Amino acid sequence: MSEMLESSDQSPAELEPKLTINPAVVAHRFVQAGMLLGLVWKWSFFVTSAGIYAKIPLEDPFFPSWLESVWTLSLVYLGSVAAILLNLITGSRILQRVCSAITLLGASVLCIHQGSYNDMTFVTTWWASLWSLWYVYRMDDLDQGPLLRRAAFLSRIIISMILLGGAAGKWTGEYWSGDVLYDIYFVDREFWLFNWMRSSMDADALRWAATWHSRMVIATETIAGLGLWLLPARAAAIVAILLLASIALMSNFFLFSVLFSLIGLAAVGLLAHDR
Amino acid sequence: MTNNTSDRKTSRDAGFLAICLLVVINAVWLLLMPWVPSIAQATINRFHLTSSSFAVWAIQFPIPTMYNFANRFEVREFPEGMLDPLAETSQHRYVNHFPSRKFTFANTRYQYLHEHTDRWFNIDSSYRGQTIETRFHLKPIETGGFEVIRLSTKKVGHHE
Repeated sequence: MSEMLESSDQSPAELEPKLTINPAVVAHRFVQAGMLLGLVWKWSFFVTSAGIYAKIPLEDPFFPSWLESVWTLSLVYLGSVAAILLNLITGSRILQRVCSAITLLGASVLCIHQGSYNDMTFVTTWWASLWSLWYVYRMDDLDQGPLLRRAAFLSRIIISMILLGGAAGKWTGEYWSGDVLYDIYFVDREFWLFNWMRSSMDADALRWAATWHSRMVIATETIAGLGLWLLPARAAAIVAILLLASIALMSNFFLFSVLFSLIGLAAVGLLAHDR
Repeated sequence: MTNNTSDRKTSRDAGFLAICLLVVINAVWLLLMPWVPSIAQATINRFHLTSSSFAVWAIQFPIPTMYNFANRFEVREFPEGMLDPLAETSQHRYVNHFPSRKFTFANTRYQYLHEHTDRWFNIDSSYRGQTIETRFHLKPIETGGFEVIRLSTKKVGHHE
């Protein structure tokens, strides 16, 4: 459990055990919960995918054969989910370390497997699991203030760098003109926002909206990528959580699989006290 | 604990420093990408599964690439140069990242390959004037799957 029991011998009333929340443990569980939600968000899709990979295998000399195997993919995915689940509930430091190492190893494999390399879910999970492995080795630090400040700093430089990755790849004319996002989202994507825009705008207005939507995405990712890590811990956490959630809410609910890990990481900043 | 003590603890925290270093390396790589064509080329090769080796490709996996570059794909039922009704309807759609996903990833692997007949995939990625195009042949094999054959990969444009 995340609670730590404290007792006092001052008076009978005070002999009652007092429940307090241990922020260091809460931070650990925020991140585990984020990774777990991210990995299981597309559960049914992954189950269907495994069936497709078994039925239509691809023999590509570029990949080692064990990284084309649907068995590798299924075992590693399920192992990672199980390790995170155990990490979420156990109080054993040794188990937490073993589970964090398994998750990092599993995410590494999923990032380079033929059937999952393109899914950014596993890249964000990898960064969160790297943070997690570092953190479980530091959780016994007696002074929690500096630990949580370091944990929050790491979480926001990771999130900043990932947003910067999104921005840098869009610093090109095809995104600035809106061509790419117009084709991916505005033309025929079934999603509440784009359905509403298609039904309420003519073709020219829709194309104009796509251009400015794309420019807004570029500007937001650039500013957050370059500046989020400079904010105080709690402000950065709030901004990051709102920004990450809005990405999925405004474009594609499936993106929560990519973003939950980062939202869990961002939440660590809520527990840190700036000096 | 004083600030000095916690600073000393930070300086002893090798894991913390290692993660900071890894983040900085990634950030520098990303910030140089617009001005160093070879970095963009390495990323396009990563997207096209045409890096010089699997190890070179795999080591780039921590670099985030969400919705990067202008990636397009085309699927054909017949080799290049032949009349192809399928290609007429599938040309020039954009893909968010890793256009090779169109034949490797679950939903589109099923969409384009479930009939177990030959397919030719042309993918291209552009970034700041640099465009690389790669052609694949997905050839059916007896086990029910496909052999992935790289036909060509070439730069088709680069204006500084």
